[in-house]
Amino acid sequence: MLLKKLFRTLWHYKAQFLSMVIMIALGVGVFLGFNIEWYSLDVSTREIYEATGFADFRIFSDSGFSEEDLEKVLAIEGVEDATRYLSINTAVGEEPKDTVALTVSTNMKVSGVLLMEGEAYNDTDPEGIWLSDSYAAANGIHLGDRMTFSYKTISVTGTVKGLVKSSEYLICVPDETQMMPDYTTYGYAYISPVMLDNAIPALYRAFLGSSLYHQINVRSGLDKARFVERADAALGNTRLILDKSETVSWAEARGEVEEGITMGSILPVLFLAIAILTMVTTMHRITASEKTQIGTFKALGFKDRRILRHYSAYALIIGLMGSLLGIGIGYGLGRFILSPDGAMATYIDLPAWPLYAPAFTWIVIVAINLFLTVIGFLSVRKMLEGTAADALRPYVPKRVKHLKIEETKGFKALSFSTKWNLRDCLRHKSRSFMTLFGVVGCMILLVGGMGMKDTMDAFLDVFYGQAIHYRNRVNLDTASVSNEEAGALAEELEADWCAQRAIQIGDKGYGLEIYSVTRDKVRFVDADMKLVSLSDDGAWICGRIARDRQLKAGDMLSFSPYDSDEKYEVPVAGVLDSMTESVVMTAAFADRMGIPYTVTTLFTDREEIPSDARILNTQSKQSIMDSFDTFMDLMNKMIWLLVIAAVVLGIVVLYNLGIMSYTERYREMATLKVVGFKDSRIGRLLIGQNLWLTVIGILIGLPAGAGVLQYLLTALASEYELKLTLGPATWLLSVLLTFGVSLAVGWMIARKNRSIDMVAALKTEE
Amino acid sequence: MAIVEFRNVSRVYRNGEHEQRALDHVNLSLEEGQFIVILGPSGAGKSTLLNLLGGLDSPTEGTILVKGKDISTLTPNELAEYRAASVGFVFQSYNLIPTLTVIENVALVKEIAPDPLSSHEMLRAVGLEDHRHNFPSELSGGEQQRVSIARALAKNPHILLCDEPTGALDSETGVMVLKLLLSMARDLGKTIIIVTHNQNIAKMADTVIRVKNGRIQSCEKQEHPLAVEEVDW
Repeated sequence: MLLKKLFRTLWHYKAQFLSMVIMIALGVGVFLGFNIEWYSLDVSTREIYEATGFADFRIFSDSGFSEEDLEKVLAIEGVEDATRYLSINTAVGEEPKDTVALTVSTNMKVSGVLLMEGEAYNDTDPEGIWLSDSYAAANGIHLGDRMTFSYKTISVTGTVKGLVKSSEYLICVPDETQMMPDYTTYGYAYISPVMLDNAIPALYRAFLGSSLYHQINVRSGLDKARFVERADAALGNTRLILDKSETVSWAEARGEVEEGITMGSILPVLFLAIAILTMVTTMHRITASEKTQIGTFKALGFKDRRILRHYSAYALIIGLMGSLLGIGIGYGLGRFILSPDGAMATYIDLPAWPLYAPAFTWIVIVAINLFLTVIGFLSVRKMLEGTAADALRPYVPKRVKHLKIEETKGFKALSFSTKWNLRDCLRHKSRSFMTLFGVVGCMILLVGGMGMKDTMDAFLDVFYGQAIHYRNRVNLDTASVSNEEAGALAEELEADWCAQRAIQIGDKGYGLEIYSVTRDKVRFVDADMKLVSLSDDGAWICGRIARDRQLKAGDMLSFSPYDSDEKYEVPVAGVLDSMTESVVMTAAFADRMGIPYTVTTLFTDREEIPSDARILNTQSKQSIMDSFDTFMDLMNKMIWLLVIAAVVLGIVVLYNLGIMSYTERYREMATLKVVGFKDSRIGRLLIGQNLWLTVIGILIGLPAGAGVLQYLLTALASEYELKLTLGPATWLLSVLLTFGVSLAVGWMIARKNRSIDMVAALKTEE
Repeated sequence: MAIVEFRNVSRVYRNGEHEQRALDHVNLSLEEGQFIVILGPSGAGKSTLLNLLGGLDSPTEGTILVKGKDISTLTPNELAEYRAASVGFVFQSYNLIPTLTVIENVALVKEIAPDPLSSHEMLRAVGLEDHRHNFPSELSGGEQQRVSIARALAKNPHILLCDEPTGALDSETGVMVLKLLLSMARDLGKTIIIVTHNQNIAKMADTVIRVKNGRIQSCEKQEHPLAVEEVDW
């Protein structure tokens, strides 16, 4: 019998129950979704790192490594496996704009591939190509197709025998200036050492000797300091050694995981907090209005335990329904981000996208359900206090108290509806607080979501709209071009130039970029996202170096270039906002400090770059910009999700509390109606309270949204150096949308007063 | 002159197949300025009569004329205007707004009534001037009912409708409230209609209407109604 009552009561309070189910579903869904996102990514990336033997260390040498060098590295205590490794950007057949990183690993257990389709990799195959399956798909290349790759005067032609994935190219970008992979123009291919050997003419090979492989990739559990020490001892001189955290594939993928954890620690908490607080408020109200029934059960002889069990079941049912729905939403959200066609697949190249939820999420979901049941239990227990006669008495809401401000002239001048709403808000503090919390939450999501887009737009505008002031970036073949020749080529192309080399600050590797800017082709951005010209009085460091090394303008920076025993101490001239973790200086300053360099890159406005043996390849600004379309598409999807979540949150919270307020003031509204107030007037009164709380919520929500976004940007600062930017459209849209939601919900509730039964309402006992 | 006329008024409540005839072809004419008591047992239809007259409900058939104006066909908005201008209500359970103070509860009607009286005057008349800044929950039942009377009369209505106004009060307070209600309404020249099942109140009325099973059983005019003090409570 009680079961029937349970379902009928659920139906009777359907608006409240549905609101709570939705809120819990949203809370659990967002919580689970975000955790599934980072955890699945974590598991899947680790799997591919393991399956393809992702290297823990990379030892670089311009002069290349011989087999003896490899033996020396393999002999280092703590090294599990190693390979000689080559990766060079080559032009593809008739598509000069396409670049494929042609890769050879002499031991495919390290930095190898995972076969997706076709024949297994064969290290003696003289003409087999194992091509990135994503590049193949983007360019309509199939197994059996013939492909030619060219590097300078050397061409390699072979047949695509396998389509593969490689963790070395997990985030397949030509360099750090490009945010998103663009497989239509850039990919990778593995060939066997035999094929590489065959491709190089005998004369050239005799000249190059063992220096083909400029990298040794190592699998080892040693920490970097120990490995560097042992590798230096084994190989005899200082090398550039990068550990995996200094590679794009590891750093960016880990960055995504970290970003997921950060995002997962804010949004779900917001949603769950609102869900739980809504539950506390609503369960209290429902049990309060059920008090006489609770009393009747008690008077009839039902034991407290049975009544408690019955009413706690409501909370449990809501919790379970919300959790089940939330689990669906969570997996849906996870699938939206992580799937072959999902948002993350445009960034990270994984072979499969299984979803995994971390164990703690299930514990939290069970805990939430227990907590909700306890909320229900405590709400009923309060109503059961005292004798059966006490329990039978209807619930009496708190008495209205006089406020200090009531003595002010301003308060006295307020209209009755204002006074009514003000006192009602203060009388029902938890309800008002919850409404406020819902509006603030809605605003945080809107400001945060749209602000993120503003921030990214501003970032892209400054970096790619203003700082990159060239049409083409020309990478020179440093082995065959001197600084004088590079200077002459720069004159010819009317270009500015840059010399890049690797340096070490402390035990970490960074880039050193030495610029000669005379034609305004490259510009620099300071920490406030303003364009700044480089001065000749010191080195400019990126924000991440400044933060990690606690450096500021005027401090001294000490670094040493790899492959050199020199140590340089230079003053810090300022802090730059930069895409790469690097130290920047002018050529004039580098010359003065005696820092040697080789010009590596030219920046020119020329559209047509003449074919020249000294030029390795060119990269157009347009190709970089195109890759952002994918990125911005991904961002827009996320923002839509946030906006939808904000609107749903706003509607559910405001509707639930609005209905609660309506129910609690039903009698008062009936009185007003009897006295002669029109429906429209009473409606305005109801909407008024919602709007007030909305205004306050907006005033709190605007800075809170900006604050949350700033927190996120700070937490994500290891990936990007973003400066919080909020455009007027974001302010306006957030406010308008929140107001719109509040008005729409207020209107929905206000319409109800037309059906107030004045007679019935006034007959009920006060 | 008749201030209220019921012409063949019926009110039928339908609940699925079930039909309840709360008022059944009622004809009635009430004089202006009189004190009228409607008596009857529970479910007789007396509250329905009051609700129809107060514009809280509309008849299923028939016509209700108040000061010559047909209120049976008014729209909800027009009914609200009618209630704001023409009728004051006093209920058994007071129905004050708990979040407004005493003076604010009375002054509330200024927002809608076309010709309201001074709320301060009304409060003074019911003897609660000193409590004007209290909330209803800080007053006794009798005091709350006096606020309710002040609010009803502050609208300056033609008719004062009272549904068991002393029903929730002890007899001593009830008598006091009744005395106040009558004296104020008479001073202001209002027509008072009280619905009750208390026979004693009927002894004070100019006209006593008895209702049973949705029909008017009798409508008696009393030549010599008793004063409040003369009734044996």
